Amino acid sequence: MFKLSARRRARTEAAAVITLAATFAVPFVTSSPLVFSILNQILIAIPAAFSVFIMLRMNLLTFAVPAFMAIGGYSVAIAAANGITDAIALAVLSFAIPAAVAAPLGAMVLRLKGVYFVLVTFVLTEITQLTLFEMPWLTGGSNGLVAIPPTTLLGTSLSSNRAVLLLATALSLVAALIAVSLTRRFREHFDAIGENALLAQSLGLIVWRYKALGFVVAAGLSGIAGYSLVNMLLTAHPSSFSPISSVNYIAYAIVGGSGSIIGPIVGSAVLVWAANLFNNHGEYSPGLFGLLITLFVLVGKDGIIGILSRLASAPLASDASSPGRHSKAAAVS
Amino acid sequence: MDSLLAAVIIGVSLGGQYALLALGFTLIFGILGVVNFAHGGLYVLGGYVAQAAVSKLAIPYPVAVLAAALATGAVGYAFERFVLERRIDDHLATLMLTLGLYLMLSTGILVTFGAESVQFAFPVTGAIRGNGYYIPLENLIVLATCLLAIGAVYLLLFRTDFGRASRALADHRAVATAQGMRPHQLFPLAFALASGLAGLTGALVTPILSLAPHVGDPVLATSFLVVILGGLGSIGGATVAAFLVGLIEAFSGVYLGGSKGALALFIIVLVMLVVRPSGLLGRETRGA
Repeated sequence: MFKLSARRRARTEAAAVITLAATFAVPFVTSSPLVFSILNQILIAIPAAFSVFIMLRMNLLTFAVPAFMAIGGYSVAIAAANGITDAIALAVLSFAIPAAVAAPLGAMVLRLKGVYFVLVTFVLTEITQLTLFEMPWLTGGSNGLVAIPPTTLLGTSLSSNRAVLLLATALSLVAALIAVSLTRRFREHFDAIGENALLAQSLGLIVWRYKALGFVVAAGLSGIAGYSLVNMLLTAHPSSFSPISSVNYIAYAIVGGSGSIIGPIVGSAVLVWAANLFNNHGEYSPGLFGLLITLFVLVGKDGIIGILSRLASAPLASDASSPGRHSKAAAVS
Repeated sequence: MDSLLAAVIIGVSLGGQYALLALGFTLIFGILGVVNFAHGGLYVLGGYVAQAAVSKLAIPYPVAVLAAALATGAVGYAFERFVLERRIDDHLATLMLTLGLYLMLSTGILVTFGAESVQFAFPVTGAIRGNGYYIPLENLIVLATCLLAIGAVYLLLFRTDFGRASRALADHRAVATAQGMRPHQLFPLAFALASGLAGLTGALVTPILSLAPHVGDPVLATSFLVVILGGLGSIGGATVAAFLVGLIEAFSGVYLGGSKGALALFIIVLVMLVVRPSGLLGRETRGA
């Protein structure tokens, strides 16, 4: 994976936040339903892709994004149905409940690594999906939860298309700020774990602590994506959180580039937009995702951002091999 | 008593199908260290190849089943030889490459055959009826074929040079390579064998269940269940676990209904992964 210099990393982080902040202007310059629809989908995908991005920083591939999206989305739907419609309260809930569920789960599953971690997260998503069907008294079972009251902010209903898009932008921006804060604060720790967890541990890094932190925050970000999705649909349905949909979020992070925070944003934007090119044949988009995943894994390992970085400047590889990386990681543990 | 017998018959029949599916999956992990997300896609491809051979080319069903196994085996061989081999030592990369193959396969099938399920009936109908039991002939034939195929795989792995070399590579790739085994020749063959088994299962089972582009998703989930329970890479474990999963599914289907059985199975597998990643009969696993 390519690594950016500190200066360039700060620039990409700023670019990520500024790009999302600039999106607030879109509903005021256009009222195109197509633009609103695509942008909403992109903004829902971004926090979910951040979730994959954070785990990939530790060389862990997660399939649990739809599980935590479901927990966040259903929590919001249940809260709204019970009279809690305030956007800020719901945003906090959508982050906190999946994160709280992830904490004990993380203690169990983070002992695993490699393909075993992949499998356990896949199994978690399957269990969540089946649980949604088996708890109709809480989740509505196969009917889901419908007619969810729209979110409000300071007593004002956020039910218009513009308000829904603005809320999705705000949630995406919050997710970006959380992801940036986490990966900035613990960059060296995550790098050390990603490169060689055993070596990092032998040098004194308390690996499980940072893995657990990343897992919990990633779960919270997925929950925010779940809130955004439920808020757009005003429905919480198991089909919105199918286990196989995890592939999409992985594709967004990989194709965009998992070496930089802006990668998941670019990947989400490009792939959601590309999927919409199929018009009435959206079912063909997985083939495009599959082709792009294959191409990027084989020839463009650092995703779109990695390729653009190489084209734009001198080789960045020298940044990746700075001496004493593990020592530094150990020193800060 | 009748329902108990029915559950046992269904369970054993399902177990045979799952064993055949899981053998391919666990072979690929055991020998190559690759988790094959395309396994469900190869199962569906096998079903469609057999269906097209029967309906469009008027080929007899048994020959169509063989053709399906060969066609999926060829896809598997080419994929390993030209794509997977390039990143074979990076487990995340191989996982994503098989994921990419699955997405392309399922979309290709969707574009070619459409989204609706297609008509594909088993050529033999009828049942053996007795006092308190009813066994469809098609299930019996599929079970017998699955058991034959499983036996053939065991013979191949334990009685041939290919099998011995493959198991040596699975045990310790570096030592086996130093001893003269050639992973670059054996890996595509192993992948072809596993893919062929997935295609064979698809061709045998889809006429009984259903054939549509996305029937591979639950197949992949079931393969995961079986191989994790049996121990990733363990051939004996996968076979035992397949029959266990088949019986649990059948009993929960008869006595509990809904998806409670599947939920219970996934929870068992989750616990198994956490406390004993090597599975029921597994030994030391690859980097759990």
